Amino acid sequence: MIKIKRKPFQEIVEAIQGYSNILNVGCGGCASVCLGGGQKEVKILNEELEEYFRQQGQDKRFVAYTVERACNMDYVQELDKIAPQKAAVLVMACAAGTQLIAERYPDTPVFPAVNTVAIGIDRDIGLYEERCRACGECVIGYTGGICPVTRCAKGLFNGPCGGANQGMCEVDSSIPCAWQEIFERLKRQNRLQDIMKIRPAMQWRNQTQRTVIQIGYEERYMQQE
Amino acid sequence: MAVGEEMYGFVSGPLVLIAFVLFVLGLVIQIVRFFRMTRKKDPVAIPVSSPRQKDVDALRPPEEVRKKVRLRGTVLRMEPFMAVVTTIFHLMLILTPILLLAHNLLLEMSWGLRFPSLGEGTTDILTVAIMGFCVFFFLRRIFSAKVRAISTPYDFLLLFLVFLPFATGFVAYHQLFAYKIVLLAHVLAGELMLICIPFTKLVHMVFFFLYRFFLPGEYSFAPVGRRVWK
Amino acid sequence: MSATQDTGIDTAEIKRVLSQHKAQIKFCLAVCAHCSMCAHSCFLYETRGQDPIYMPSHKMINSIGYLWKKRGKVTPRELRGIGDIVWKRCVLCMRCYCPLGVDIPFMIGLARRICREQGVYREYDRP
Repeated sequence: MIKIKRKPFQEIVEAIQGYSNILNVGCGGCASVCLGGGQKEVKILNEELEEYFRQQGQDKRFVAYTVERACNMDYVQELDKIAPQKAAVLVMACAAGTQLIAERYPDTPVFPAVNTVAIGIDRDIGLYEERCRACGECVIGYTGGICPVTRCAKGLFNGPCGGANQGMCEVDSSIPCAWQEIFERLKRQNRLQDIMKIRPAMQWRNQTQRTVIQIGYEERYMQQE
Repeated sequence: MAVGEEMYGFVSGPLVLIAFVLFVLGLVIQIVRFFRMTRKKDPVAIPVSSPRQKDVDALRPPEEVRKKVRLRGTVLRMEPFMAVVTTIFHLMLILTPILLLAHNLLLEMSWGLRFPSLGEGTTDILTVAIMGFCVFFFLRRIFSAKVRAISTPYDFLLLFLVFLPFATGFVAYHQLFAYKIVLLAHVLAGELMLICIPFTKLVHMVFFFLYRFFLPGEYSFAPVGRRVWK
Repeated sequence: MSATQDTGIDTAEIKRVLSQHKAQIKFCLAVCAHCSMCAHSCFLYETRGQDPIYMPSHKMINSIGYLWKKRGKVTPRELRGIGDIVWKRCVLCMRCYCPLGVDIPFMIGLARRICREQGVYREYDRP
């Protein structure tokens, strides 16, 4: 799922410096699963901020509230009884959830307390690896289930660059070369022909905001002609 | 009277041994079962260079703040009262009978083993405290909505099972009435509790350590020696 | 919530899934001391007026615990009740605290799996 990570403490402090009555919103979805912004993290951050500002001689009040999913208005609405009375809102959900909260309360400054880092997998407790950058043009069908956009530092589509060294990436020698792995896996499956064809580069030029309309739900949102 | 003496002889003699054997054997069986039902976790390679201390520090609040908010999200911070109460209760529950002078004198007489003991006044206070805690847990089960919601008669029975050896021990020590019978009841209650530990919910005595130290999780104590369910 | 009103419930299949994780279910249910210390770790418990039905242990005992106790022999009505617990009262945020280390999210996940396989799941496109 989506992986988030708390921003550096000082950055959060600077963002809310001018406000004294603050609501900190957590999300029970991905943010909670990746131990980045669930109820516990919200409470911890509030405690740390309260203590920090107390030491600075400033009196700031923090309230915590965790919603089921910050990316759905039905759940964000729960904040209606608290958010409008606050000077500012901190959000420990992904940037999507944060933006929905900002949309819901246009008169209130909303600040992210986390960075939305990746769509990734759970490798261990608190250890996650990026696997998808949501490029919208999935190619892993012919790259042996290994994403060249995410896992190759250069996002190459047609084989490795010249920098691969003993199966490792030249950008960081602790990262495996994605194309080496793609080659190995396809060879193992006897599918090397899949990468013999030249693939066109990604259509990066249309970088407008994407909307997902799930299959089977198109009718609901079709344009009336 | 002869029957009573015989009964007392059996309960305080062979039955003690049987209870201890069942207790230890039961625990060993449970521990072995746990290790047989779990396996060593596959090692996880960190896919990037391990973070350096100074990078980590840059993300955190200053040292002076960190010192003050040490309990970050632990149960000691979230539910301090219950965390302290249960910890003290469980420690006393295990230590009081082990450090009781009368128990250790019996041990020395029968097996020649000498263990350190607390003063009799101290253990008496501890016993009263344990009984007090039992009453507290009993009332909590009845009056706290969240505990009541998951309480069953079995939970009350177990609490009583724990309460009984201490209550009878207290009455016997102070020789309040019918000393012989109360003492017999005390020994029986203690044996019953020992035997029940591995085979009832009281088994959390060992599973607490197995779960929190061997299985990986957000709240596990040890990051090493990890196992996962088969 | 949809259910298998017409087809009934495949008890044998539920039993199969339960026995697959027999050891873990038995251990978890045996260790849960009904202490309620997990309550405050659930944000739904906190934000829904501290209603005990949102307590992680309550959800575990009444979902997978009930299925286990009944050896999978549950009525469609009961299964829908379990479905309500594991789909509506839990979001599987995986953050339950258990002093004894019981993996409550795994148990809820297992109950979700059983419900899903029996046709009891949450339909997000319906109110």
